[in-house]
Amino acid sequence: MTVTDLPRLRRDLLPRPLPRRDQAARARLAEAGARVRPSVLADERLLAVAGALGGVLPGGGIVRGSVVGLTGGTGVTSTGLALAAAATAAGEWVVAVDDDTFGGLAVLEAGIAPDRFALVRRVPPARWATVVAALLDGVGCVLAAPPRALRHGDARRLVARARERDAVLIALGSWPVEAALRLTVEATEWSGPDADGNGWLDGPVRTVRVDGRAAHGTTVRIAG
Amino acid sequence: MSVGEAGAPPSSERSHGHRTLTLWCPDWPVVAWRRLDPPARDAVPVVIVERADRGLVVRCASAEARAEGVRPGHRRREAEARCPGLVVVESDPAGEAVAFEAVARAVEALTPRFELRRPGLLAFPTHGPSRYFGGDHPLARAVLGAVAAVGVPTARVGVADCGFASWLAARSAGPGDARVIEPADTPGFVAPWPVAALGDPELSRLLARLGLRTLGAFAELSDGAVLARLGPDGVRALRRARGFDDSAPVLTVPPPELAETHEFDPPADRIDVAAFAAKAMADRLLDALADRGLACTRVVIEAETEHGERLARCWRHEGALTPLALATRVHWQLEGWLTASPAVLHTDEWVTGGLTRLRLVPDEVTPATGRQLGFWGGDAAAGERAARTLVRVQAMLGPDAVVRTVVGGGRTPDERVRWVPWGERDVADEDPAPWPGRVPGPAPARVHVPPHPAELLDLDGRAITVSGRGVASDRPASLRSAAATGPVTAYAGPWPHDLRWWDQRSRRRRALWHVVVDDDHRGVVACLVSVEGDAARLDAVYD
Repeated sequence: MTVTDLPRLRRDLLPRPLPRRDQAARARLAEAGARVRPSVLADERLLAVAGALGGVLPGGGIVRGSVVGLTGGTGVTSTGLALAAAATAAGEWVVAVDDDTFGGLAVLEAGIAPDRFALVRRVPPARWATVVAALLDGVGCVLAAPPRALRHGDARRLVARARERDAVLIALGSWPVEAALRLTVEATEWSGPDADGNGWLDGPVRTVRVDGRAAHGTTVRIAG
Repeated sequence: MSVGEAGAPPSSERSHGHRTLTLWCPDWPVVAWRRLDPPARDAVPVVIVERADRGLVVRCASAEARAEGVRPGHRRREAEARCPGLVVVESDPAGEAVAFEAVARAVEALTPRFELRRPGLLAFPTHGPSRYFGGDHPLARAVLGAVAAVGVPTARVGVADCGFASWLAARSAGPGDARVIEPADTPGFVAPWPVAALGDPELSRLLARLGLRTLGAFAELSDGAVLARLGPDGVRALRRARGFDDSAPVLTVPPPELAETHEFDPPADRIDVAAFAAKAMADRLLDALADRGLACTRVVIEAETEHGERLARCWRHEGALTPLALATRVHWQLEGWLTASPAVLHTDEWVTGGLTRLRLVPDEVTPATGRQLGFWGGDAAAGERAARTLVRVQAMLGPDAVVRTVVGGGRTPDERVRWVPWGERDVADEDPAPWPGRVPGPAPARVHVPPHPAELLDLDGRAITVSGRGVASDRPASLRSAAATGPVTAYAGPWPHDLRWWDQRSRRRRALWHVVVDDDHRGVVACLVSVEGDAARLDAVYD
């Protein structure tokens, strides 16, 4: 049996001496790349975030097992609650580790299911890392305000624990070690009251900058 | 070898279980290892280890190693530390199955129907054999004698009214001895055992937390309560604790068309070829059963070679069989039969020829209960895991530390939401009807209870006051507080509240403002400020 006997021989697939640089070769390369891209089931690995914020996050949501760092002057808690709402929408439990000033009504208005939410308060700063580690074990999303004296070793262990358990840790405040996603609330605009004090505060429009592996410095204006 | 009986036994016998004999060879992995090289390996402290996520973990320890303090679950290094001359052997399930085939053949000479649970444990109903041998005690002695003849003198036998109780009886018998529980004594025998004997660590932990430490205490609960709290698995465990067979009476013998057959052409002479086909057959079989809402607990695996030799074994699995478990048992059975030398099996000749036919027949099916999903979707298992984690954190920090939200009525954000400690059940959300005087706008993310002191000043630096009629003295121009300090860029209000006007002592009058402040460090901050008398307070921040 010789080579010419093979039916429907694809001569264009035979190896050539030099690589071609024309459009046809590039197109075929792009097609091959699309075929071998690892297919990750999106709804299993990502917590899809709704709204304009989800539009700028890589993949449209937060990857499970990652740490999100949220900083900014004001508006940090509301943005964190919006991300946590994405977690409960996917059926996960959300536990917040914060102090007594956490607004319970804001939790409900952000869209977090009340039967899958709990708040852990009055945590001594020395035990903060232990408590968060224990929560990452059993819960899908943890919203926590890291204390100022958080050690880097503890923070890295929490990152590893979140990755191992496929849980999301949203840090409300400065996160000293690496985080998969960093959101910064840059500016807030409020509307509603007029010059004479009539009316009331309407929802804010916040400008959030997203820094991550796939999004560098993208800003988005989100309402609420 | 008979595969199944035509027609079901009488229903009364079904509901109380068959009288069963269980043969247990303790530490079978160690015994199987020793049989490979009898004189040199006797009386040597040895542990069988298997790979777990913590490293190499002890699965089974010999009596000499146990005397030194080594237990299953220890890591290899810890075991070696406790027992200096320890021999560490990697676990070999196929070898154990091969070695147990000799014991199975010895028992097969006494009774045609028996079921294998795993290498080291087999059971059979004593209905026929007991009558043949003239009673349970002679039968047990015959079994022990047959097993000792193949070189396993330390086997134990237990006879009782149901499979679980006979297994407990075998555990309580001495080495080389039998324990027969009289027919009506089975519940009384099972009762003093601890709940850990059920073999389900989750369930036994839960029962221990509920204060039920023995199977007798567990057996006294009502069926309905156990079904509601623990689900169908709990009811199965309850039946065992009462001394009955754990499955509900099987209504019909499974239809014969469910059996899966595979012909090997050319005959398979390697085990892995047969095991690969068995995996596909197992998938098909269990899918067909699942379509009918059934799960298989006992299966007969029949294998036939091209020269007509047949081997059929009945395997039982705790709970329902999965395709992987079924394929593993096929692998064990074929290992035990096709590759073992005659000396190991105590027979006269090798099995000749390759495998031509493999057949899987479901022998006992139970209604499949499936997975319990949460009411509004989601997984109940995730909820239970989260609840356990929160209870753990509560134990670390105190019951008040873990709270959940309960919404009620009220005017201000701090009045509307209460924090209720986790675990308190009878607090429900109140009806969200409109509430007069409610502060409008979105809910603030940070609510200060008690409110922070603040200063709301007008352009001249005087504090803003609100008259009894709700008229403010001036426009707010600046706010000074811990959360936000700076000029006021927008404001709304005042909204006057007259609290508890009917009670002279606790009457309070205050006015609320929405204030948007331009802070130097934090940018634009919106706050909820309340003015009472001449003092202003920061109630909440719209963070």
